Amino acid sequence: MNKKFKFRLTRRAFAYPYMIFLLLFVVVPLVIILINAFLDDNSKFTFANFAEFFTDAGGGLTVLGNSLIIGLVTTVICLAIGYPCAYFLAKYHASNRVFVLMFILPMWVNFLIRTLSTKAIFMAMDVDLGMGTVLFGMVYNYLPYMILPLHTTLVSIDHSYIEAAEDLGADKLNVFLKTVLPLSVPGIVSGITMTFIPAISTFAISEILSSSKIFLFGDAINMHFSKTTNSFGVGSVMSLVMLVLVIVANVIVNLTSKDEEVSSVL
Amino acid sequence: MKKIASLLFVILLVCFAAALLSACDVSEKDSLVIYNWADYIFDEDLEDFKDYYKQVTGKDIDITYVTFDTNETMLTRLTKGDSNVDVVCPSEYAIQKLIEMDMLIPMYYFDEQRYTDAFSSNVNLDLYEHNSDNVEEGIIEKVSDTFGQIEITAQGDNQGKKVSMVDYFVPYMYGTLGILYNKYAFDELGIYDEQILNDSNWGILFNDDGNGNLLHEGLTGNILMKDSIRDSYAATVFYLLESGRLDGLTDENGVLYTEMSVGELINAVDDGLLEVVKDALTEQKKQLFGYEVDFGKDDLLMGNAIVDLAWSGDAMYAVEESWSDEYDDYELSYYVPHSTGNIWFDGWVVPKTHNPAHFDAIKLFINYLNIPVSAAQNLLEIGYSSAVKADVLRNDTDAMEVLAEGYEYDIDDPDSMQEFEMYFFENSYLDENGEIVCYDEISDSNWRYPFASAANHNDDFRNIDSLGVMRDFGDKNKAVVTAWNYSRSAGVNALPLLGWTALAVAIAVGIVVLVYIIKRKN
Repeated sequence: MNKKFKFRLTRRAFAYPYMIFLLLFVVVPLVIILINAFLDDNSKFTFANFAEFFTDAGGGLTVLGNSLIIGLVTTVICLAIGYPCAYFLAKYHASNRVFVLMFILPMWVNFLIRTLSTKAIFMAMDVDLGMGTVLFGMVYNYLPYMILPLHTTLVSIDHSYIEAAEDLGADKLNVFLKTVLPLSVPGIVSGITMTFIPAISTFAISEILSSSKIFLFGDAINMHFSKTTNSFGVGSVMSLVMLVLVIVANVIVNLTSKDEEVSSVL
Repeated sequence: MKKIASLLFVILLVCFAAALLSACDVSEKDSLVIYNWADYIFDEDLEDFKDYYKQVTGKDIDITYVTFDTNETMLTRLTKGDSNVDVVCPSEYAIQKLIEMDMLIPMYYFDEQRYTDAFSSNVNLDLYEHNSDNVEEGIIEKVSDTFGQIEITAQGDNQGKKVSMVDYFVPYMYGTLGILYNKYAFDELGIYDEQILNDSNWGILFNDDGNGNLLHEGLTGNILMKDSIRDSYAATVFYLLESGRLDGLTDENGVLYTEMSVGELINAVDDGLLEVVKDALTEQKKQLFGYEVDFGKDDLLMGNAIVDLAWSGDAMYAVEESWSDEYDDYELSYYVPHSTGNIWFDGWVVPKTHNPAHFDAIKLFINYLNIPVSAAQNLLEIGYSSAVKADVLRNDTDAMEVLAEGYEYDIDDPDSMQEFEMYFFENSYLDENGEIVCYDEISDSNWRYPFASAANHNDDFRNIDSLGVMRDFGDKNKAVVTAWNYSRSAGVNALPLLGWTALAVAIAVGIVVLVYIIKRKN
């Protein structure tokens, strides 16, 4: 009997269930999506699904473009609100967890319930549902994901760097621009990925907060899989495109943040 | 090595025990696996059916009840092989698909001899009563007219064989596609008028008065459309026909769309028509509050929107919820625009993969659903119209008791019962002078029972011929999905948003740089 096949209860054995889980629920589904992307209705090999998506026959590219823009804008707004938030939390309430908790608290409520309530509030205020409300919902939902990594990074900055900068004669603006900001880049990058990637694939928020009028990439994929029986192919192609975007985003993240400590959570 | 062996042994033992347990389960009791729409039966535990089964066969039965929420999910599950189910309740076009794929067995429910002959010999038939006569003939006729002979296309022994859908299914529920609207909101806009709404027809959903003009600007942003390809397609085709936008257009064979019957028109899915539908749907977006599947009823009840494309059962639920003390009336109402409309059916079928040991249970279950009381319970619970004839229900005391109780009418008071019967089966009531009045001047007297002859004496009675049944789109399916996706994605442009954000970021960075430069200079 070959030595390799011997079963030993080593520490490594505890990783097997996880490996099996990964294989079954991550790798196998991805392979199925990949295969589906090349199959037509009669399970024959075809490139037609790619052709349909990339010629924009069903408006797929338009939707992708809109999704990317909305994701980007959401991220920018989240960063613009989240950074000052995280900064002041870290600066003045570093020891007070209650304030941080206040920002995480909404995350404990199911996001569907939150989004439905947001819609109810908008309706009560007679606000027309549309792009603005969708954007509001996205920012509201993803803001904690921006604040948390930023807060973690900012809190962990060694205060002596700031003191050193002050000792060397830097004013407040310079201290911020030359020490705090560069040191918090890993947090920014991680916050951006945690906001941007879910934001481009969301569908429930746009569905609820625009009454399905704003049709995003996530909605389109959802439509191909749940409302039809024979367009899994195009849906798979769109999922693959999404996957490529996620990978690209991660590569960019890894390139920009060499810092091992707080790199992307994804 | 020993460890592997012992591990395998344990696994084997567990498997064996599990197999033994499940085997025991089957051998002791009869069982049945039902695959139905969610919320589509009176009691998912089916206690009454269990009693009936015991009464007829003397045996207990175990029921596994599984649900689906769209025909597409159901079809995917059945066709991809995950299918240990005995009876399924798809819609007519899904049944057509399943027959084409040769996945169903014929039951011949409407041929009593053939149906009962198929019972295995160990079932005593003395207590069995065949209920096929209770089923509305109109449905059978309509289905035969629409689907004719369906050709089995799947490879195998039956390929090329032509069969009739009626042999394969037993109707369960049916309903119409129509317009659910807030009549008081319409009144406020000044468009709650039979003439105006009849002229506008399906154009209400497109805010079109029937002549290409805006029906009312107050409707803009208050219209809901169904997030469902087939239903939206049907409504759009009807609108195009009624508004004259199909005049002079012909299909691939040169037949004028305007010359077709309603049934032919909604099933004539060709590229030319699809293009017009796509344009109409894209144009419609400006008028919409949005698309809905689940929240439409709520949006109407809360006043977020005032008109919606709806199915009759959903609509009935919404209407009954919409009682307003202020008006002392139901705020919402439902009707099918005159001259054109869509009617659909759901029915029970038996997939080939059913468990042969469950055959008796399958047959008894399907027959059980056509007992008037059971039909009354189900239609009360679900809200759609039961395939059991209205007259059969009216003449069955038990069924009427169930219905009257459900609607809180007094079963012992003949006046109350007459009032209920008029309300329920004819959608009308007697005014002070004893005249029959429809509940709502726009509505049909027979939208709940389009086949019923009972409402014939009423002027608002409409002809069942004006309602068409939709077949499966067949090889046009993909084109329809693409067109629908196209119109759904159109009309949203995020580019200005990007511009504004870029501008804001530029300004912010500019200010920081400016401050920095000024500070440095100082």
